[in-house]
Amino acid sequence: MGSCCSKEPPNTGPVEPYVPSPVAVPSTTRGITETRVAAPKLVVDPRIVDELILELLALIASFVDNEEESPVSLVKLHVIAEKEEGWFQVVTSMVRIIPLDNPLGPSAITIVFDDCPLPSKEQVIKLTQMLGLSAMRALAADIDVQVERNICVVLGCIADKLAGPNSVAVLTEETLDYMLSFLMFRREPRIVLFALIALEKFAHTTENKLTIKERLNKEDDNPLLLLERHANSQDYTWRQVGFCAKWALDNLFTVEGRCLSYQTVDMSKINALMNTQDVSEYLKISCDGLEARCDSYSFESVRCTFPVNSGVWYYECLIITPGVMQIGWATKSSHFLNHICINQKGKIIKEGYGIGDDIYSLSYDGCRRLIWHGAKPTPVPDVEGWRPGDIVGCLIDMDAEEAIFTVNGVHVRTCTHLFEVSRRNNVDLKQSSQGFFAAASFMAFQQCRFNFGVESFRYPPNRPFKIFNEHGSLTDEQKRVVPRRITLELLRETTVKENACTLCFDADSCCVLEPCQHRGFCSLCTAQLKECPMCRAAILQIRVEST
Amino acid sequence: MAALPRRIIKETQRLMQEPVPGISAVPSETNARYFHVIVTGPEDSPFEGGLFKLELFLPEDYPMSAPKVRFITKIYHPNIDRLGRICLDILKDKWSPALQIRTVLLSIQALLSAPNPDDPLANDVAELWKVNESEAIRNAKEWTRRYAMDN
Repeated sequence: MGSCCSKEPPNTGPVEPYVPSPVAVPSTTRGITETRVAAPKLVVDPRIVDELILELLALIASFVDNEEESPVSLVKLHVIAEKEEGWFQVVTSMVRIIPLDNPLGPSAITIVFDDCPLPSKEQVIKLTQMLGLSAMRALAADIDVQVERNICVVLGCIADKLAGPNSVAVLTEETLDYMLSFLMFRREPRIVLFALIALEKFAHTTENKLTIKERLNKEDDNPLLLLERHANSQDYTWRQVGFCAKWALDNLFTVEGRCLSYQTVDMSKINALMNTQDVSEYLKISCDGLEARCDSYSFESVRCTFPVNSGVWYYECLIITPGVMQIGWATKSSHFLNHICINQKGKIIKEGYGIGDDIYSLSYDGCRRLIWHGAKPTPVPDVEGWRPGDIVGCLIDMDAEEAIFTVNGVHVRTCTHLFEVSRRNNVDLKQSSQGFFAAASFMAFQQCRFNFGVESFRYPPNRPFKIFNEHGSLTDEQKRVVPRRITLELLRETTVKENACTLCFDADSCCVLEPCQHRGFCSLCTAQLKECPMCRAAILQIRVEST
Repeated sequence: MAALPRRIIKETQRLMQEPVPGISAVPSETNARYFHVIVTGPEDSPFEGGLFKLELFLPEDYPMSAPKVRFITKIYHPNIDRLGRICLDILKDKWSPALQIRTVLLSIQALLSAPNPDDPLANDVAELWKVNESEAIRNAKEWTRRYAMDN
């Protein structure tokens, strides 16, 4: 049995005791009040909570160190939210003040939820009653887009955290009506988008999925079928709605008679795309393999199908959301670490690792205006932050040993990092691990579209270059972007051979460890072992048995 | 999606077919590497009667590296901190690829039966556990009642 091994005291900053002051408390919501439950009493001056949240939001924009301690504002919010009343205060404050136009607003909400204590289901139901969530609220004339958008983000976070029976209890008829009303009446797209994402999170619990699906199919026109038509919209908010609706129809809320997108999309001209076998778990990829989006709270990454190792290559990326994405180049040696990870001190590092976070990759984040390489950011303060509709150009020139980023044709930086690494470590990244792949990482709620040359480039570089789509070649099978659930079902039918390796179950076992004589491992697994998995004895020699 | 290794599929199948008594581990609908876990508090421990939720994630190089596990339900325990992080050697340097999801969860259940305040993660809890064990156990029971008995 295991025993305890690491020691690190939790770093909880003290929070000043609150003496209630006679300030007027701004009401959290506007509109209907009849069914609303009274807000619980305050534990902290609401202005302090507001300040902490805005402080955190500002910090996230400059939150660049993966190893950093939790920000003080986040620790304080956690302490406040440990009391039930405090939790209500933190949530209602976020709903009220997270600005609509801040590209990191929804991410900030997810970060706070990730760090704060989990609410009980009673607490959540009370919150929905306090806010008076209902169809009526969603359809009120004097709707406050910021508040409703934030409520939908909050609902998504709650659904994500409370998966299972609690998620079923929390999805009351009124709350479901509230979210569905935005979809059905296609009001403000920024609210529709997050209502849709919240429904998707609730659907992680099967019972909810069936409930929601039934409600959607009961409508004369399933609202998702209307919403998916926006998938190619030039309005970038509606386009996100369209993308999410299409994804939901393919993956969660299937409709009888509707073909899955991958069965109908024309892939004949596409020879390079995002590799569905080389992507972290939660990234959503469009049926043509060229558009990608993240709605999970982790940092998600993907590489494309086609590596390059000589000459000059160029691709473009259409920015659809203005938040944090790291777009650029990676080799197979870059690891996608999309989940919470724990460092040697036992501390959880929240930020994921993505493209540009190791020495084998390089990327540009046009939201925070940083070039990333080896997890080190280099600021590029002289350019403007990217906006939806911008075109990021990524060029790699292996003869001149440089990579160049542009935004709308304007030069951002010429980088030589990747080639310096090769020289310093005396390894040629171009030749090792196949070469360089176009690659990108996404923070929550971010989306972009890659152009590997299937469409003409908007800002082609002024030196001769080669085009992925003209040199790539894929089988029909490799081009197919099959919904994950179908892939999972196929995988579940897998069987294991009699003499399979006891560690991976994939290859035949053929190795015997010396001197301990333990056997049952394949050569691939054995090569990764430092000691015997059975007895922890040192491995002095590996004997291969013929089978 | 990165192809799911057979090892994970196999372990999942077995967890479903022969569940460990007192432990439920269900893979997420959308991510086969993420498990929703519920551990029942062991008998004759201050956590008896409680249902504790945990999340378990199998990293990319599993089983060569350990699963990431965290308590989601609040728990008063000297080796589990306020964020639910668990101080358990087999999750860190004593990991072996021959261990499995089920053995990890059994070890966590055993840790509930046998708190180890001499090697703490939650210092304040451990301190009380050492100087006034009966009060610490009272707190643990109270937290169990308050946070882990929600039906």
